[in-house]
Amino acid sequence: MNGKLVESVKEALELLDKKKLEGDVFGIKERNISYSIEKGELAESSEYEDLGLGIRIIKEGKVGFGYCTPGKEEKGVRRAEELSTISQELDLELPEEKDTPDPDIYDKDIEERSSEGEGAEFTQQVINGAKELKEDIIPTRGSLSIGIGYKVLGNTNDLFLKQKSTAVSTGVLATIPGDETSINASESRFSRKMDLDFTDIGKTAAEKVDSLREASELPKGEIPVVMNPDAFGMLMWFGIIPAINGENIRKGKSVYEGRKGEKVASKELLMKDDPTMDWGVGSGPFDDEGVPSREIPIIEDGTLKHFIYDLKEAVKSDTESTGNGLRGGFKNPPEISDRNIVLRGEGENKKNLLPDKGILVDGVMGAHTLNPASGDFSVVGTPAWLVEDGEIKGKVEGAMISGNLPETLESIELADDYKKSYASIGSREIKMDLPSARFNDVTVSGK
Amino acid sequence: MSLKDIIDYVKDEGATYCDIRKERWDTTNLTLKDGEMEKITSGSEEGAMVRVLYDDGWGNVGTSDLSELKKAADRAINMAKKSNEYKEEKTGMAKVETHEKAINMPMEEDFLDISTEEKVSFLKDLEKHLDKKFVRSTELRYIDRLVNKEIATSDGTHVKMKIPRIVTYLIITGKSDTIQRASEGIGGTGGYELTERAYEKKDVVLERLETLLEADTPPSGKMSLIMDPHLTGVFSHEAFGHAAESDLVSTGNSCLEGKIGEKVASDIVTIRDDPTMDGYGSFPFDDEGTKSRNRTLVKDGTLNDFILDRENAWKLDMEPNGGARAEDFRVKPLVRMSNTIMEPGDMEFDELVEEVDKGVYAKSSGGGQVNTGEGTFQFNAQEAYLIEDGEIVKPLRDVSFNGFTLQTLQNITGITKELDTGIGHCGKGQTAAVTDGGANVLISEVTVGGRE
Repeated sequence: MNGKLVESVKEALELLDKKKLEGDVFGIKERNISYSIEKGELAESSEYEDLGLGIRIIKEGKVGFGYCTPGKEEKGVRRAEELSTISQELDLELPEEKDTPDPDIYDKDIEERSSEGEGAEFTQQVINGAKELKEDIIPTRGSLSIGIGYKVLGNTNDLFLKQKSTAVSTGVLATIPGDETSINASESRFSRKMDLDFTDIGKTAAEKVDSLREASELPKGEIPVVMNPDAFGMLMWFGIIPAINGENIRKGKSVYEGRKGEKVASKELLMKDDPTMDWGVGSGPFDDEGVPSREIPIIEDGTLKHFIYDLKEAVKSDTESTGNGLRGGFKNPPEISDRNIVLRGEGENKKNLLPDKGILVDGVMGAHTLNPASGDFSVVGTPAWLVEDGEIKGKVEGAMISGNLPETLESIELADDYKKSYASIGSREIKMDLPSARFNDVTVSGK
Repeated sequence: MSLKDIIDYVKDEGATYCDIRKERWDTTNLTLKDGEMEKITSGSEEGAMVRVLYDDGWGNVGTSDLSELKKAADRAINMAKKSNEYKEEKTGMAKVETHEKAINMPMEEDFLDISTEEKVSFLKDLEKHLDKKFVRSTELRYIDRLVNKEIATSDGTHVKMKIPRIVTYLIITGKSDTIQRASEGIGGTGGYELTERAYEKKDVVLERLETLLEADTPPSGKMSLIMDPHLTGVFSHEAFGHAAESDLVSTGNSCLEGKIGEKVASDIVTIRDDPTMDGYGSFPFDDEGTKSRNRTLVKDGTLNDFILDRENAWKLDMEPNGGARAEDFRVKPLVRMSNTIMEPGDMEFDELVEEVDKGVYAKSSGGGQVNTGEGTFQFNAQEAYLIEDGEIVKPLRDVSFNGFTLQTLQNITGITKELDTGIGHCGKGQTAAVTDGGANVLISEVTVGGRE
């Protein structure tokens, strides 16, 4: 574990102790090495090392938050203390240290190979994989990133926890240049251990773009849409995650308000938040408030079971934290956040989900324009293919898919091609483990 | 060691080019939700990024430990050398005028002098104005950020600047048969005086929510579209602006590649991106130390310029125009927009509506996205109205549009006189503060996505 970070967190805790203040100190250190791909070549190597502390203080029941870099602990504590005077009173109790699960999230191999600069070689494998399929297919843009993260969390209830994790991710855009416009498709993958097949990632992107050469006519109307995992994950994150947030439930801003115990999805659907899974995208032993991680069933057999809470919302909603307080870096106070969303269904072979007439979608454009309060969406599926008699045909362009996500879940069918899906959206992250899905309740329109 | 000493050291190691960008950020971030102060945070952070070009290979190292800048420079040199081993294509940095200057962007009222209590009072006062029967939930956010930057390059530029940015968000939710949400971000580059603008927009957000609560779901299919000024701005940014970013052009990911001097839009369209105007995305020098200036991207329908940093200007044999922006010291600059405007025209709003047999009048953006290589876009309006036979008929909700950029730009048949802008954050792997604006614009045909 990194000595400087641990010392700095301890230093800040001692300052709290001296001032007889309650609070917690959250320190992170991140080292990230990345390689970018441009026009079929490794274009550049980048690295950043980040170190910082978030200090939360509870003074006379009021909570204040400040952040600083190591060496400036006193200033950070002072700032948090000042701000606490103008905040709302809240009966927030910081947790004591309890046993935590110990999911595998650290791979020594990643850390060792990253310092040897092997990432450049992995990036070259992605590039070669994409180039090998056909001469006119070029990996025009992409990146490969290797990260090692440390978290240290201590509070004035004698809790002191440490976590070390690794991650490797890569994404590549394969392009077939054209006179007017080009054709492109991408593939991205994420893992916490060194088990990615880099050549295959490039090859998959190339195969996808190769399958987009021939165009088919876009079918329209109420037809089934099969979404690949990344596209499905994007919609779920913008459409369903806000609806299971405890605060939105309490405030009546969720379509799931007052519906616990009701059937909200097709009967085989299981959606859980499980940060205890080994090598899960968002797994870890504890959340960013020190609450031990546990598996939270959200939708089981199609029935709505639980919502997610951090410490603060648990007080307001008169319930317990579900271990869903995340900070998104040291500069933000904890807020309710999904950890490692896992979706499972009956696990049909994806081929069996392909309809007689419909479309297959690999990515969606505009998922962030979804109405988070109602779940209504209207996105463009791209790239997308026509599906006829269970066979994938040529690409379809401008496929606008509209529907209501919570309603769509009621008749959804899931495949068995599980994928760990990761994307960062500002200071928040999409961390999911899910398969392809068939939407049976949407409208497709377009040109 | 000073920045200059480190640059000299990197040059002595045989580097082709080097720059260092040192930054300090002071931020206050407040959220008032339903009358309660949910979030009160404040903090400072500092760090630097060293970029090294060694022959044709780049190495970039960001660090939050300013005492270890030389170590970061050594890492950057090694990484650049390693990249160079893999690199076949030549690269370089186009020449720019060098500057040694310090510029502080003005704050009439310095937000660092305003107490947090006063900022909280401002949000609480603003919230009182949103107390309406149909408003079920309110969320008000206030963020101010002052960044102190120092940029030094191996070409001799050494600039320092202070850029203050401030923004207030009004987000309100109501419920009829469905839950609806209306929001507006108000702010810019400047001081605490900009909070006054939030009061001017409160009625807009209230009217929008009230309308949405009575709105129907939209029709789908091809039809005409009138965009309000903010949506016009977002359209100019998303559908066109991204494709004009030179890093996408030079890597074969833009539908505008090789089209300088060609017609790409109807004659009445002029689009510019201007970091020197009053806006949320303004700056005096870009993050490579290049002096900022207006870029007229489309002039009377003809493609005129791209947004260019130094490396992509070199690759495309064009002149850099201050297009490099980085989110913070952890990351290298990318080619980004600033304040993107479609110039107003000479029509009246009623004249636009009269021209529409069947269509939608859409207001304010709900976000958008684009595929620059394929030249396709998707975006959402927060508020919309159905138009039939030249008249506005009824309100619509969750209206979304898509189309092909070049085709759609040719389909612009009318632009009104008045210019207005909105602010936003653009994501391209990194976040950038931007302003988007224009007038009311009629597009003769786009695809509207709806559930009917």
